[in-house]
Amino acid sequence: MISYIGKRMIAVIPIVLFATLVTFALIHISPVDPAEAYLTAAHIYPTPEILEQKRHEFGLDQPLLTQYMQTLQRISRLDFGTSYLTNKPVWDEVKVRLPATAELALSSMLLSIVVSIPLGVLAAIRKNGWIDMLSRGVSYVGASIPQFWLGYLLIFFFSVRLDLLPVEGRGTWQHLVLPTLTLSFVLIALYTRLLRSSVLEQLQETYVQYARTRGIRERIIMLKHVLKIAIAPLITGMGMNLGKLLTGTIIVEQVFSWPGFGRYFVEAIFNRDIPVIQCYVFLAACLFIVCNLLVDLVHLYMDPRISAKGRAER
Amino acid sequence: MSVRHRKTTTLMLVAILLLSVILGCAKQEDTPASTSMNGAANEKSITLSWPRDIGTMNPHVYNPSQLFAQSMIYEPLVSYKQGGKLEPALAESWTISKDGKTYTFKLRKGVKFSDGTPFNAAIVKKNFDAIMKNDKTHSWLGVVGVLDKTEVVDDSTFRLTLKEPYYPVLQDLSVVRPFRFLGEAGFPDDGDTSKGIKKPVGTGPWMLDEYKQDEYATFKRNPNYWGTAPKVDKIIVKIIPDSETRVMAFEKGDLDLIYGEGVISLDAFKQLRDTDKYVTKLSDPVGTRSLLLNSSNPKLSDLRVRLALQHGFNKQAMVEGVTSGLEEKADTVLSKNYPYTNVDLQPVGYDVEKSKALLDEAGWKLPAGGTVREKDGQQLDFELIFDKTDPIQKAMAETIQAEWGELGVKVNLTGLELTVQIKRLRSNQFDLYFWYNYGAPYDPHSFINVIAKKSFGISEVLSALPMKKNLDQQVHEALSSTDETKRQELYASILKTLQEQSAIVPISYIKKTAVYQKKITNFVFPANRDENPFDGIEIGK
Repeated sequence: MISYIGKRMIAVIPIVLFATLVTFALIHISPVDPAEAYLTAAHIYPTPEILEQKRHEFGLDQPLLTQYMQTLQRISRLDFGTSYLTNKPVWDEVKVRLPATAELALSSMLLSIVVSIPLGVLAAIRKNGWIDMLSRGVSYVGASIPQFWLGYLLIFFFSVRLDLLPVEGRGTWQHLVLPTLTLSFVLIALYTRLLRSSVLEQLQETYVQYARTRGIRERIIMLKHVLKIAIAPLITGMGMNLGKLLTGTIIVEQVFSWPGFGRYFVEAIFNRDIPVIQCYVFLAACLFIVCNLLVDLVHLYMDPRISAKGRAER
Repeated sequence: MSVRHRKTTTLMLVAILLLSVILGCAKQEDTPASTSMNGAANEKSITLSWPRDIGTMNPHVYNPSQLFAQSMIYEPLVSYKQGGKLEPALAESWTISKDGKTYTFKLRKGVKFSDGTPFNAAIVKKNFDAIMKNDKTHSWLGVVGVLDKTEVVDDSTFRLTLKEPYYPVLQDLSVVRPFRFLGEAGFPDDGDTSKGIKKPVGTGPWMLDEYKQDEYATFKRNPNYWGTAPKVDKIIVKIIPDSETRVMAFEKGDLDLIYGEGVISLDAFKQLRDTDKYVTKLSDPVGTRSLLLNSSNPKLSDLRVRLALQHGFNKQAMVEGVTSGLEEKADTVLSKNYPYTNVDLQPVGYDVEKSKALLDEAGWKLPAGGTVREKDGQQLDFELIFDKTDPIQKAMAETIQAEWGELGVKVNLTGLELTVQIKRLRSNQFDLYFWYNYGAPYDPHSFINVIAKKSFGISEVLSALPMKKNLDQQVHEALSSTDETKRQELYASILKTLQEQSAIVPISYIKKTAVYQKKITNFVFPANRDENPFDGIEIGK
């Protein structure tokens, strides 16, 4: 098992390197020169001399390979340069904003788990019953409604009409409610359907029939046997979505004026704040890789046959 | 421990960890925002929203500091008022030498910075020197290019000497940045403000009170302010990036005022106006939305083609349709509320028949059965580039495409990112382009400056006009002339030439919008496009 984990960890290195290479390449093939982007963001008119000066300052007059190596060195020290817009180190700016985004992502993840597990299981047990219909409705709406629109709807009803919750901002638990609902709605839709079908699949298995003939109570069969296996695809889904959530809060942060990482990134895109974009893409790549690894490790933990298989193959 | 138990314990630990993280994050119930924003009951405050964080409040640098907020804290020597009138601000009076090269300012006495330190000629010079240390950064502003030296004559007299006469010095000094004054305590140790300041200390009516990046900023009255103190005690600025959210926060009553350019959609503005629950206002024109017809393109170098294109679309209908009538049809490139621009010019009206006749006359004929005019085997087609994130530009581009299509002119639309669009303008790689002038206090002198000065893109657009050299000469004379009458004549001549040549086609005058709750009174748009309207605002019952 340890060697499996070790192997997976080593495999992360080339993927991260590839991510840095792609980011580096994307910035260099973009039609806008980073030095010009800097000056535009700072509202400075790009005269040829000042462009030249900035290009030299940013090392853009160096050969591409040197530039890439320097980028790698800097990234390894978590130095993503200075934001063109604020003139502050990017990593410092990101560090301040990450907790807000993490808070939103985790609360959404938690809410989606709390709602979708019972809903998915009940929908499978009471197939075609009203709860199944409800879960189908939720999934249908959740999968098709654009997040920003759902955000507006929630603000309109709960804040403007009913005056129950704040429209925007962060600070109290009330501020967390609407953005969490907005973000988790699509997850609930996804997880409920996933769990429903995987529970239904397991219910067809012979071990369930065997358990039933042994006279084990239905609830015990469900909790101790079926759910344990049926939950595996859900864990995969959640793992993949955690990365997506941490990077995908952009729209929700924008709508609810949530002072997080996503909103910072949107502003960076509009201003071509390249160091920030580079940092964001790099972190997003790392997050996805780590989440992927975590999912695999959880699977390994739940089903030791995976590592046994690995050993057998060796 | 059995395997099962071990698993359960681990899972529980993970759950507890997850919960504690969330609770830890959420346990910030009483932030300064929530306590201060409710405030003391008797305190008069106004809450408004702004799309972006107010920034570092450094008076000498640009992005990300927001102009309206900088203008709350820092003041100019000379203030720009309605109709281009220049009024004393930190300078009580000034004299200009006969040759137009020396400006002597008598500074207002008894002015103090918000920290109580005195405002005097020495601090004025210190600010000027800090700004001029980075003159390349400010080269867009005319006065920076001609400034020769700064002197402290005595404690309350400050003198500027120019390399050559340049009449808009006072206008340039009235803009929000960079020529405004930071107190001694705000200067960094090495005096180089371009890298940052210690704290925002100004002489203005407001001072920064509380600030949380990306969330809010509150300003309170400066107790040391020399002028009439503002009527309200506090201005709270909430940072709300999304315009729809802003409107909903306003409807809920969380905001008292929404003001600015493009801060809410025109639809939302109309909808709020129609409810009759709020007060809505439109400012005088702050800029002109124009279409550049690049005369360096051989097809557009023909005056008849340019005129035909201007005659060939219904501006009035377009402005009403696309901007819901919230922008005003423009007949001249500069509106008449700037100095020197109240000139009688002949509008180029909507006239399809005239347009067709002009195109025929220029040799662009419709081939039998064809829909696009041709000449010498070439089609009459153009590329119109626009900012793809701007819904108004997009809608206008589509309307123009349809209307000119009827005339037999083919328009290809290319939506670009703003930075790429600006790059294409500066490198003169376009046929048709949406362009805006700068507004007050920059215009009309900045406008005529870009007509003559290369690399902004506008001079290149006009490059094929037969009288371009003469135009450049007139611009130079107007900017350096010390004779008011002559300057007016030169402006009139320049504007007349541009109107007749039709290479910059005015479409509409852009206006600022304001929506506020009925309790607010005395709201007046500032004459300076970038300043704030807060000083006169009152709160009724």
